[in-house]
Amino acid sequence: MPGFDFSNYNRNAALHARGVPLPKATSTGTTIVGCIYDKGVVIAADTRATSGPIVADKNCEKLHYIAPKIWCAGAGTAADTEFTTALISSNVELHSLSTGRDPRVITCMTMLKQHLFRYQGHIGAYLVVAGVDPTGTGLYTVHAHGSTDKLPYVTMGSGSLAAMSVFESTWQPDLDRQGAIDICAEAIKAGIFNDLGSGSNVDVCVIEKDQPTQLLRNYMKPNDRPQKERNYRFQRGTTAYLDQRVISKEDMKKYVTIETLSGDDNLAAGDNMEVDS
Amino acid sequence: MDKLVAQYSRPPHQNEMYSEQEQQDLTASVPPLSLKFSLPPVDNHSAFLRAMTDDHSNPSCPIKLAHGTTTLAFRFQGGIIVCTDSRATAGNWIASQTVKKVIPVSRLSRGEDKKSDKPTPGLLGTMAGGAADCQYWLRYLSQQCTLHEIRHKRRITVAAASKILANLTYAYKGYGLSMGTMLAGMTPQEGPALYYIDSDGTRLPGNLFCVGSGQTFAYGVLDAEYKYDLTEEEALNLGRRAILAAMHRDAYSGGFINLYHVKEEGWVHHGFDDMNPIFWKTKLEKGEFSNVTSAL
Amino acid sequence: MTSLIGQSENIGYSFSEPTSANVKQHSFYPYTDNGGSTLGITGSDFAILAGDTRSTSGYNINSRMVPKVFKIGGDDETGDGAQILLSVVGFAADGNALKEKLDTVVKMYKYQHGKPMSVSACAQRLSTILYEKRFFPYYVHAILAGLDEEGVGALYSYDPVGSYEREQCRAAGAASSLIMPFLDNQVNFKNQYVPGSGEGHALEPVKAEPLPKETVKALVRDAFTSAVERHIEVGDGLQLMIITREGIEEIYHPLKKD
Repeated sequence: MPGFDFSNYNRNAALHARGVPLPKATSTGTTIVGCIYDKGVVIAADTRATSGPIVADKNCEKLHYIAPKIWCAGAGTAADTEFTTALISSNVELHSLSTGRDPRVITCMTMLKQHLFRYQGHIGAYLVVAGVDPTGTGLYTVHAHGSTDKLPYVTMGSGSLAAMSVFESTWQPDLDRQGAIDICAEAIKAGIFNDLGSGSNVDVCVIEKDQPTQLLRNYMKPNDRPQKERNYRFQRGTTAYLDQRVISKEDMKKYVTIETLSGDDNLAAGDNMEVDS
Repeated sequence: MDKLVAQYSRPPHQNEMYSEQEQQDLTASVPPLSLKFSLPPVDNHSAFLRAMTDDHSNPSCPIKLAHGTTTLAFRFQGGIIVCTDSRATAGNWIASQTVKKVIPVSRLSRGEDKKSDKPTPGLLGTMAGGAADCQYWLRYLSQQCTLHEIRHKRRITVAAASKILANLTYAYKGYGLSMGTMLAGMTPQEGPALYYIDSDGTRLPGNLFCVGSGQTFAYGVLDAEYKYDLTEEEALNLGRRAILAAMHRDAYSGGFINLYHVKEEGWVHHGFDDMNPIFWKTKLEKGEFSNVTSAL
Repeated sequence: MTSLIGQSENIGYSFSEPTSANVKQHSFYPYTDNGGSTLGITGSDFAILAGDTRSTSGYNINSRMVPKVFKIGGDDETGDGAQILLSVVGFAADGNALKEKLDTVVKMYKYQHGKPMSVSACAQRLSTILYEKRFFPYYVHAILAGLDEEGVGALYSYDPVGSYEREQCRAAGAASSLIMPFLDNQVNFKNQYVPGSGEGHALEPVKAEPLPKETVKALVRDAFTSAVERHIEVGDGLQLMIITREGIEEIYHPLKKD
């Protein structure tokens, strides 16, 4: 059976009534915005994911792919935005395959709102849907309960008020491409600096007719970490241990097959990981 | 008319300064120790306090107070052994691993352990429950004991000192204090004396007490090995071992083992030692705690 | 004359009768968590108290420049001549009230006795000030710092109702659970052993010694830049106060503002 598994629902409700706290979902206390311009539409997002007051991810991606020319910015519960957009993305593609036409933004928005309305707000996805289709440019917001708006510029998430103040004070009806990117980035920065739920970098996505969609990942990085003052590398042997067992490559071969790659350093996994130098 | 105006109006800044009473409170060389507590402006202040500070009934309460403990004390032929752990917890958070839970109650020592091999005269109090409650009221008790000493020209008996504390906790019953304390001391009138006092107003004399979240673990060891005729060496080791068992099994106890011996001339401190090496020594050299294994 | 009141009583609508429920008092919640974090470390001849300067409520920033570290017992607004430092984190209004009260007490002491209050005396007095509100607590975690009678750095940390302890280092506030383990490891060298000093249980732990001032300053800055990375309520600025025999030095460092 596809769909949600409710088998632990009653148990968890009973536990919660007895005072067991519910597990914390990672929520993207977020700033997301969108803005149309003469030839297309721009959406943008910050990159902070939080779990309560703790930053869970400093550089997460909140711009989701739906179709080549339809993208979605998500706020609310991280997992819900991720899976809802993925599901709708699949359905949009199937729909476009069976109709033999390019998908429309309004179709996607309708599918989203019908899906979310059915779950009465329990799927905590707050989305900005934007794209270009044969009917023109489209920009919508979709709330978790299923309501939608169609506007020339939109903001959502905990930083929506900070971001909207930028639009309300500087938006003009005749923006060009760069003008739209600038105002969106500025709105996200307002969210990053004035809303605690938003932070780190600015992601931008530009969708234009007859042009490939551009995802400008980390379009701005206004919050780089300063250099640490001390070196926190420990001398080998600093940590005490109770017992040790060495597992040789020969032993490992009993359970897995091992292939040795060439000695190229660039191939090493985790090369891009943040490490102390 | 002017008189009326003068009577019912006042200069704009009259209330900005401290009142005379407040000034006196601020300069008093001895701070007012009791009975001047400010209460919240609500009908049921103990319910308010519970809603704000009781992390047991409300794990997300805003103010988490320091709690948790294992303490023990027992009488034997050579005096009284007093032993505690050193951990303070606030909710699930270990607030400190270095709390001094044995508090000297006497004029000569104001809670600071001065390095000395000679016994220090006076009583010992232990601390379980709210850390602030125990610290504050044992300090208050210390003051009362000193006043007793000055007034009567002899040291207070443990019975009398424990009664001061018990009367106090009984007076504050229902206000939300949380303390379980033991008073140990030796006086010419009583010999070695040990009392248990808690925030319900209980006051019990006895030979052996364990108090705190780890009390059951400590009782387990103590009841198995205790007898009155223990030598000094055996008694000290038993106290240490019982606390070790509690620290091992109780998540709210841990840190350092704080050991005291009360003798006729006063109390002697027998160390504030990290439990970890003591645990491994006990395990490896004596073969106890064999359920714990480091083998992979 | 027909009484309307009498009639309405007979109808028996439930709302025409007084309710049996007790008059409910509106829930009384006098506290706000203003976020932020503080931290103190001592050395052989100095003590450092530091705190970020952000004040928050919920997801909003009230201000980017609200100090959490104060000079106690100084001459005037400048705080010149002070020999004690206090940091408070939690509910800023309670913290301010507490600071004002302790400041007055220490000043009154100086005027009456003609000598400044010792840190140990001030520490105990602060404990009683906190305990006076045992049944309506100050929602604060306080840290007091100064130099003791021997000129050695002294640091006292408090819970909201006045239980206190002298320590080498302490972090308080929103990011205390992030900073304190770092301090345990880097100041008291917890879980660090001397490599090659023995096999198994004979391995010797690294002994904690008072750290030099420059090391401590770097540790404090690293602790805060790291806390800012992972805690949303910490940021904007770092206020550092260092107390030595020469007096109090105050340093400000910008922190990330997101």
